[in-house]
Amino acid sequence: MRNFEHITPPDLESAVDLLSERGTKSIAGGTDLLPEMKSRLRSPRRLVNLKALEELRYLKHNARKGFQIGALTTLAEIESNELIREKIPILAQAASVAASPQLRNMGTIGGNLCQSVRCWYYRAPEFKCWLKGGDTCYAIEGENKFHAILESSPCCAVHPSDLAPALMALGASVHITGTDEEGTVSLEEFFVRPKASNRQMTILGANELITEVQVPMLDGDSSGIYLKAMDRKVWAFALVSVAVQVSWDKERVKGARIVLGGVAPIPWRVPAAEEIVRDQAITEEIATSASEAALEGAQPLRDNGYKIALAKALVKRALMTLAERAKK
Amino acid sequence: MARVVKTKTEFEGNFFEQYIVIEGDELTPWAADEKLEKVGKCTPRVDGSERVTGDAKYTYDIQLAGMLYGRILRSPYPHARIKSLDTRAAEKLHGVRAVLTHKNIPQIPLRMGQHFLLEPTLRYAGDEVAFIVADDEEIAEDALELIEVDYQELPFVIDPEEASQPSSPQIHLNGNVLNGKPEEYERGDAEKALREADVTIEARFTTQVALHNSLETHGSVCAWEGDSLTVWDSTQHIYGVRAGVAQALGLPLNKVRVIKKYMGGGFGSKNGAGKYTLLAALAAKKVGRPVHMMLTRKEENLAAGNRNNTIQYLRLGAKRDGTLTAIYLRSYAGLGAYSLWGTSPGGPARQLYACPNVKTIQYSVFTNTGPMAAFRAPGYVEGTFSFEQAIDMLAQKLHMDPLELRLKNYIDTNPMSGMPYSTKGLREAYERGAKLIGWRERKSKKITQGTQRRGFGMASQIWGGSGGPPAYALCKLNNDGSATIITGTQDIGTGTKTVLAQIAAEELGFPIERVSVELGDTQDGVYSPLSAGSMTLPSVGPAVRVAAHDAKEQLLSIAAQVLEKPKDQIKLKDGLLHVQGLEKPVELKEVLAMKLQNFMIIGKGARGPNPEKYSVNTFGAQFADVTVDTETGEVLINKIVAVHESGRVINPLTIGSQIEGGVIQGLGFALTEERVLDRHTGLVLNPNLEEYKVPTALDVPEIEHEMIDRADPYANNLGAKGVGEPPIIPTAAAIANAISDAIGVHVTDGPITPDKILKALNKTQIGGNHA
Repeated sequence: MRNFEHITPPDLESAVDLLSERGTKSIAGGTDLLPEMKSRLRSPRRLVNLKALEELRYLKHNARKGFQIGALTTLAEIESNELIREKIPILAQAASVAASPQLRNMGTIGGNLCQSVRCWYYRAPEFKCWLKGGDTCYAIEGENKFHAILESSPCCAVHPSDLAPALMALGASVHITGTDEEGTVSLEEFFVRPKASNRQMTILGANELITEVQVPMLDGDSSGIYLKAMDRKVWAFALVSVAVQVSWDKERVKGARIVLGGVAPIPWRVPAAEEIVRDQAITEEIATSASEAALEGAQPLRDNGYKIALAKALVKRALMTLAERAKK
Repeated sequence: MARVVKTKTEFEGNFFEQYIVIEGDELTPWAADEKLEKVGKCTPRVDGSERVTGDAKYTYDIQLAGMLYGRILRSPYPHARIKSLDTRAAEKLHGVRAVLTHKNIPQIPLRMGQHFLLEPTLRYAGDEVAFIVADDEEIAEDALELIEVDYQELPFVIDPEEASQPSSPQIHLNGNVLNGKPEEYERGDAEKALREADVTIEARFTTQVALHNSLETHGSVCAWEGDSLTVWDSTQHIYGVRAGVAQALGLPLNKVRVIKKYMGGGFGSKNGAGKYTLLAALAAKKVGRPVHMMLTRKEENLAAGNRNNTIQYLRLGAKRDGTLTAIYLRSYAGLGAYSLWGTSPGGPARQLYACPNVKTIQYSVFTNTGPMAAFRAPGYVEGTFSFEQAIDMLAQKLHMDPLELRLKNYIDTNPMSGMPYSTKGLREAYERGAKLIGWRERKSKKITQGTQRRGFGMASQIWGGSGGPPAYALCKLNNDGSATIITGTQDIGTGTKTVLAQIAAEELGFPIERVSVELGDTQDGVYSPLSAGSMTLPSVGPAVRVAAHDAKEQLLSIAAQVLEKPKDQIKLKDGLLHVQGLEKPVELKEVLAMKLQNFMIIGKGARGPNPEKYSVNTFGAQFADVTVDTETGEVLINKIVAVHESGRVINPLTIGSQIEGGVIQGLGFALTEERVLDRHTGLVLNPNLEEYKVPTALDVPEIEHEMIDRADPYANNLGAKGVGEPPIIPTAAAIANAISDAIGVHVTDGPITPDKILKALNKTQIGGNHA
């Protein structure tokens, strides 16, 4: 790790101001940034310590606004929060299968949504890949069994977050504070495919911070599920994951949000599949055709064709499980 | 009196005949029904408290006045030549004390001249280019970036089968195949037998490169005093490091002291001096200050050794009744850039069963990748993965129970040498294991419908583990009735200290608390072999017993003179002298310190030769109960049963730890662990503990283990054999067979990850339902 300056700002406003200077990064849990710095993938000159900003550590809930979760809330707090477990269990579920207990004690919800991809070419300092400003995505022609089956160009890394698909299925938004302005955007707007002018997976500017995650009230009878396939029982990023949140009218689906993880550079919402289950009672046939629709357009690379069958199976399993529960 | 005798030793599947020096008279082995008080009893680790409290000092913990830190610049290319190298900017950085390159150090040949300590030719991505010592690690790392190197890239090859072709880029002058040709073994006529067999099977297997990932990385701390060098080294062989360092630096053996008191794992990868050791020693000499050089986790995973990958082509032939008639194996193992030896993936095929016609052709091939190193039963883990799966394929084809097929081909003599085994408890291991897993009732527990398929599998294990001479020990008796055992072995984390204390206490008739064990220091100790090949206990333990016996006899002679009683009327028990005719036992202290003031008894012991007419091997069987999710490819291991025979059990607690550790490492090899190389650049993509996936606590199932506890009457005076390696050998094969039982198709490429399971299922009925 190279030397750096470490500043603890007195408040959010000063934090954002400090971030405006080049070579500055914010640090909260540090579970993503510190390994990058240790491997010299990133060497910021200055770190702005957010951990001391108590105003970003809260978890509120009310019947009108739903959940407001301060960006510094840790994954462990989300996992164990009684209200979350009761009202939006999909989020607690997603948090509980992320990383490891140690990492969940450190990692924050804000940091989780802003984390870099885990692509091993990106993480290896030896490769100057496209995402790091180079010309080539080495994974497209290289070792790509963990990579994207959708939107795999110009970068085929997958978005690694477990919380993001769950939050997107809940229709969540993030509140962003910057030097000049602040505002709230939906996660669909927050996550963007990387492009040459913005080689990252979010719209967040260098001098902006997520300060709050907002989960709206779910209407009436709603249930959700997060399924994650891994190649190790714990501390592994998703091979594929799926988050499904369904609002019910008895046993019929009023509306559903279906989001895949581990398949594209961003959490991948699949409106075509959502459309298929809308106003339906979920049968095996409906679930199967929704799963087919969810993977419409998927194009596997050399080593990741298995993800298509896997993702379909998870979508179907999630829908069938929710339907079973709805009957009870 | 010292004597020279000839003995046969087996190490990592290879046999050696050698002359050795032994001393003292061999003791009669403890009988099978011997009444032993310490040996065979659950004994907690004698150094457990210092290990868990942090008092134990590992190599990494060594802090010396004025100590500097070393860092190594490594090749970014799998094959390259250094055209030019400029270290001026690095040298100018504040805090940098020395920069070593091939230009300013002597040309020191390694591995019999296969390569040099530093040289312009680089043969894998990670090969050493330069060495920097600085005031701290961060400065040294900053300085690495300031060294300018102009590399000429050379063509490279990473696949061992491809590398064996003459048209491939050549890595060493003598070609890529070790010794210029494959190692061949044949008994009978395997090709003819295959043609004549009633039933044959044929399959191609591959096993991946696995990394040791010892918790403590490789490294050394080197300090000079005048012309004497002290090396603290994280090693499995302090005398081996001493020999390597002395030879490389041209020092007499008595000027090199190697110390290793505690160790955070080695698994075969720490069997000698490393480049890091020699570079630290050279730099310490140059700057006149001690140098601390520990590899980072990334370096550990690039340059510190690995279990080589293999490609194995196997054919089996059998009669309709299951009698094995032919085994034919052609294998390719990737050595990486440097090695003097190759493993024996053909070992299990040659040894496990009675089969008159066996041929194994083993290619060990250099590739432009990190060099292999012994890794807990090298060759046999890979060989068993394929061979024991092939046996199951054969059982399937014969419609035979896999266990019955194995029993059908059971053999009590070593099929290679014809010699009887000193003990072979495999039949009992099969029986006990089958009972514990519920083998004969498994059909009722199998799940053959739905997405959660449950299956059962098993595999057998054979390995050496006899240990052998030379190994020496001393037993010092102090005048307060306490004893110190001195050896030159090392406790690599297996509990050596504890079991040696048990053996000495048993022989002396002392309570275990009165016995301390000193090891891990070449200057204070006496020669012991490397702690590898499952040989520490069966090599050093017998020497300790002889030394303790010698000391006890001397003590009893002295006691007899002081007490004026015949020696044969005095016995030692619980550290007390029981004298015939005296009502109360006598405290040793009374006899020794009170009457004789200061004195010391020194008992000497050496390991005797191995038996000439017996084959000493270890055996075992493991059974796996798994559930496979046919839609996600995820494998849940419900239970592993491991039953092994390694002769007499000295300590059920430490042996249990070995079995559990071996099984866990074996299931990592089976399911998750794989070093991944980028095929286009030859760079390792996962040299870290995030993406190189060792099992976590949640990956570990219930492991039920048992020992067939049987004193080996011929192996040595303890009747004990090694157990470090055996438990990892059959695990992956047992799991693979259970997976195949669950999903109806064999996955022949390791590790068996979800993508491979889904791919295999895709070709079957089960997969067809949802694909």
